[in-house]
Amino acid sequence: MWDKLKDILLQVQKPARYVGGEYNLPDMDKPCKERVLLCFSDKYEVGMSNIGTRILYHMLNDMLDVVCERCYAPDLDMADLLRKNNLPLFSIETKRDIKSFDLIGFSVQFELQFTNIAYMLDLMGAPYFASERGEEFPPIVAGGPCVVNPMPFAPFFDAVLIGEGEKNLKELTLLHMQCKKEGLSKQEFLQRASKLDGVYVPSLNNPTKRAVVKDLDEAYYPTKILVPNCDIVHDRSSIELFRGCANGCRFCQAGFYYRPIRERSVDTLVTQARELMDNTGYDELGLLSLSTSDYSGLKELVDKIKVEADKRKIKVALPSLRLDSFEAEIYEEIQGASLTFAPEAGTQRLRDVINKNVNDKDILSSLTAAMKYGVKNVKLYFIMGLPTEQEEDLQGIVDIVCLIKKLHAEYGTSKLLNITVSTSIFIPKPLTPFQWERQISMQEMLDKQAFMREKLRMKNVKYSWHGAESSIIEAIFARGDKSLAKVIVKAYELGCVFDSWSENFHYDKWIEAFELCGVDYQKFLDGFAEDEELPWDIIDNGVTKAYLLKERHKAYEGICTPNCLKKCNGCGANRLERCRI
Amino acid sequence: MIILKHYKVDDVSYVSHKDILRVLQRGLKRAGVDVKYSQGYVPHMLTYTTTPVPLGVQSVAEYFAFECVSNVDKDDILLRYNKSMPTGMRAVASFYKDRNPNLAGIVVASDYIAESVEVLPKEIESIIGCQNYVISTSKKGQIVKKDVAPLIYTLRVEGARLYMRLASGNANLRADSFVNHLNERFGLNIKINDICRVAQLVEVDGKFIDVEEVLK
Repeated sequence: MWDKLKDILLQVQKPARYVGGEYNLPDMDKPCKERVLLCFSDKYEVGMSNIGTRILYHMLNDMLDVVCERCYAPDLDMADLLRKNNLPLFSIETKRDIKSFDLIGFSVQFELQFTNIAYMLDLMGAPYFASERGEEFPPIVAGGPCVVNPMPFAPFFDAVLIGEGEKNLKELTLLHMQCKKEGLSKQEFLQRASKLDGVYVPSLNNPTKRAVVKDLDEAYYPTKILVPNCDIVHDRSSIELFRGCANGCRFCQAGFYYRPIRERSVDTLVTQARELMDNTGYDELGLLSLSTSDYSGLKELVDKIKVEADKRKIKVALPSLRLDSFEAEIYEEIQGASLTFAPEAGTQRLRDVINKNVNDKDILSSLTAAMKYGVKNVKLYFIMGLPTEQEEDLQGIVDIVCLIKKLHAEYGTSKLLNITVSTSIFIPKPLTPFQWERQISMQEMLDKQAFMREKLRMKNVKYSWHGAESSIIEAIFARGDKSLAKVIVKAYELGCVFDSWSENFHYDKWIEAFELCGVDYQKFLDGFAEDEELPWDIIDNGVTKAYLLKERHKAYEGICTPNCLKKCNGCGANRLERCRI
Repeated sequence: MIILKHYKVDDVSYVSHKDILRVLQRGLKRAGVDVKYSQGYVPHMLTYTTTPVPLGVQSVAEYFAFECVSNVDKDDILLRYNKSMPTGMRAVASFYKDRNPNLAGIVVASDYIAESVEVLPKEIESIIGCQNYVISTSKKGQIVKKDVAPLIYTLRVEGARLYMRLASGNANLRADSFVNHLNERFGLNIKINDICRVAQLVEVDGKFIDVEEVLK
């Protein structure tokens, strides 16, 4: 395989993506009883940036008798050459094809990657549907954030791992090793797997409860991580402060899905940060979580890490901060010339609807502080098309921009201030209080974007927006059912792949695929009645449907739910594991 | 100024020069070497290399120079560096110079060995006697004609091996372009990944001398 690959590697862009050989590569030659292949349904640069697959890859390689390799979606030029040369898709480390592995795992990150699953299976020489793959193919399973509603892609997989891979992927790997030893068939293995926490077997349609790790301080976290030889999207090491989110923004799937909230201790994080700095040579260390400023020991952590980072000339990077918890003191520590804020909605009324616990006073005081610290760039993120949104709410976005300009004129210590406004389209996602909502139509999206473009024609203000057509496709698949799997295959056969890369997105081909498959996609956009059965009801993700419904009603009444740090709101996630905050 | 002679073989030969610079700098950081940084608004590590080999070509004679903040033992640096580099990149010698030797400026030629699976025709050597020798090369996606006769210093065939001494530096002949030309003209199948740079040379009194000798 390697000899044949040598011939084609110099004909593709960025061959370094396909050769491996990264620093900190685990021992691929260790004695092994189970060889696992972790596939990421996007390109190397995206996959290598993903912290989830990074954790699982090293966790599996640290297990006794297990070797884990990686596979990413090859770029189109590489795929063409593989096909021309009759070569299958291969693992990065040892250039093996999939039949050489005992277990295959796919990480599915979001809806616009679904055609990449078909693309990779096709390049691997595997039938798309699990039901069509015999014993000659190893079990192929999926995991990742998209499993909140796995139904649209579930028919491709023998099993779908719901929840945290540190728990269910580890258990599944051990189980498979045992079943192999006992000489059991794939079906017998899947029967047993369906009894594990967080393993949904589509052919058995077993009710599944999400698997979560109990204590993040005890959970596996790699500090000797792969350092890529070529540029990737997020080229830095990261520590994960906590999982879950206390804020309960009603549009945010991650905020509900990753509950219960579990923090890592400052001591654990400082140790991990120090080891990562020494083991990687990265110039930057990221502090990751869904809402970093809510971490209880943030000041202490930043102080301790800064000492270590400064010694090594390493920058500590914080993700976007919530406006209400913006601490000038921390900002001064992590001094930078740009600031990112996500008020999400333009008016207080709409922020109450979505439970973004930020008020006008917070915005004013935080931005005033930012101006005094000499911020030169402000990035603002908003969502358009939220339930109950009116034109006044869009005008509210414009008003915030005007307010920032005014504050800069009054208090700003930087000469120039650039403001970037980005709006995304609201897509109702499963496991949120808005999971029953209607998706706004394409025309509504275009009208709202046109309104913003017109209003934000101001000096030093840049406006960017998310594609309407791709939002429609994302919305269909977010709340879709198993009937959509054949549409994914058809769309792929028509040429859809890497849909999340705008240059590769073909709306017309998607619509054609729906028509050819005879699937009415409008029903997934129209929303659901509150008493209607939802395609993902069989999955218990933690937060209860009753709680989500209660939150939905509160949204329409404009009533906020307090942050979980203030009081437990009884969402139900602690049925899976106790919140640790 | 510390100068490391290192090799770049196997998988890393497919890593571009721009990426290799980052790999080298991260390696130094992991090795705990206190390298000098620029004093600008965005400080960056001050490191220097020679003309890179083309993508896919291997090398056992790459040079990488940097200045340390404090006095360091060059042999200790070599050991630490080797422990912190990915497979395929190892230093084989380290040198100390008071001043930056500006290797990129003084290297004028490189020696390469290309391995073929078949015995190569001796006829290749006759290219050396040509007054003009025009080949087609690709430059920024365009095919351009270039007279390379003054850029070829040695061509020697020994069985399935081809020894080449080609201009390197300001006047440069890419080994991959030249081998591609030979493949086409003589119907050969030498793979780019089977070319290896084995030495970089400076010119002293009209003679080519291995840069390693200058650094000793």
